[in-house]
Amino acid sequence: MLKVENLVTRFGHVVALDSVSISVAESKITTVIGANGAGKSTLLRTISGLEKPASGSITWEGESIVGLRAEEIVRRGIAHVPEGHAVISELSVEENIEMGALFRRRKYKSDVSAAIDEAYQLFPRLLERRTQLAGTLSGGERQMLAISRALVSRPKLLLLDEPSLGLAPLVVEQIIDTINTLCRSTGLTVLLVEQNANTALGVADHGVLLALGKVVADRPAAELKADAALRAAYLGY
Amino acid sequence: MTNFLSALFSGVSSGAIYSLVALGLVIVWRGAGIVNFAQMGQAMFSTYIASTLIINGYSYWVGFIVAILAGAAVGALLDLLVMRPLSNKKRTELLSSESMRAAIPVIASLGILGVLQAMAGIIWAAEERGFPAPVAREGLTLGGTVMPFTLYDFFVIGVVLITLTITTLFFKKTGMGLAMRATALNQEVAKLSGIRTNHARTLSWAISGAASSLAGLLIAPSSTLSPTSLDLVLIIGFTAAVVGGLNSPVGAVVGGLIVGLVMSFVNFYMTPEDVYISILVLLLIVLIVKPRGIFSGKDSRRV
Repeated sequence: MLKVENLVTRFGHVVALDSVSISVAESKITTVIGANGAGKSTLLRTISGLEKPASGSITWEGESIVGLRAEEIVRRGIAHVPEGHAVISELSVEENIEMGALFRRRKYKSDVSAAIDEAYQLFPRLLERRTQLAGTLSGGERQMLAISRALVSRPKLLLLDEPSLGLAPLVVEQIIDTINTLCRSTGLTVLLVEQNANTALGVADHGVLLALGKVVADRPAAELKADAALRAAYLGY
Repeated sequence: MTNFLSALFSGVSSGAIYSLVALGLVIVWRGAGIVNFAQMGQAMFSTYIASTLIINGYSYWVGFIVAILAGAAVGALLDLLVMRPLSNKKRTELLSSESMRAAIPVIASLGILGVLQAMAGIIWAAEERGFPAPVAREGLTLGGTVMPFTLYDFFVIGVVLITLTITTLFFKKTGMGLAMRATALNQEVAKLSGIRTNHARTLSWAISGAASSLAGLLIAPSSTLSPTSLDLVLIIGFTAAVVGGLNSPVGAVVGGLIVGLVMSFVNFYMTPEDVYISILVLLLIVLIVKPRGIFSGKDSRRV
């Protein structure tokens, strides 16, 4: 479904992604794990068009999406929830959600309201706080809001960057469960980036281990989880 | 008492115009991160277009509407032809300093101001001309006594109120308005939501151009029109925007009214020579007491 081949992304002289190749299978959860600075976020940001790769290819549904603007890539069905609960604090919860569906509002009017309703069903706490400014939400609620914003664009592929960052374990569990259920019930494809390898591998079908911008392992999640040597070498536990 | 009411009415009506100028500045500042020094040059250009139409026998209203549309078009063109290419990352990559990068469009706007003024001088000759008002500018008489306000004051206040209402509704109630606010607040999240931020930015230039052209049209009957006649209005409008908080459209409107009233009361109760000093003093006070402006909102965010 998504195929990344020999992707290189640089920031000045720093090579953040060094010839990375991965593929993401349809209706599965693929996770990219690795230590801080391994290039996980850069990988997602390059796929979603926020960063331009120096070389390599990204193929989505048979077409190259390298060089497209981020806003056009979303319109093709790849929604990115970046690191750090990316919501707009000065806008209300309602407006943050609506924002994700703006580009579909003319063509698919009724489906847009259905999508918004579904997001509120998924995260009822957001419904309670509908008119509040996003800046007043807790970290967990902001993450739910960022995910909702992505979901109302009706993506085929969801790129999730460290949804667990800075959240309490219970909230993390709730969010991961929701994503898992969503993937299994609606066939949504997920590419999940996590530093918290255990959580991510527990829910994913497939795992990719990144270290210093290179892929060092690319295997079924269960296998990766069981490999104690790899864990000790790259994840430090 | 009559002096007080006169000062009040003329303060509110000129303040309403400064609100529009400030609003134009705030919209481009929020939407594109640029203080647009060319803004009143654009307004001057539109007002000349209206003036030419009116002189050639068209009605005030034809001139009025064409000028506002021209103001929007010029604003959009400036973004497309000058600002967008300037913000192109590759071309400014050579300049490593972030502050230099931010300064370039501002300097460009000063350049645009010069070009617009020179063009107006070439097209319309650099001499002053008058500009008509659609309604009487003499004090209204009610039962034989002359009132301290004019019909034109009401016209100005009415037009500005309608404009502000439409603008507010547009930003608060429409999808395009939401897209523009999102772009102004957080470009990355806006892009990831599928919002075409380039379009939103061009639209903010167009709206700002239209609002400032309207300000130009409304202020022109009270003075004369020349290529540089609106330079001072930019400074007053800028003061109003800073007083209100450069980030806040509501602040722009309130700032405009405060500045208009201060100028008007100084004019009536002190001497006309003190008017411009008074707003600079006001600017100083605001910058010392509340440097982010009255309506700046909270910059603090939850972590």
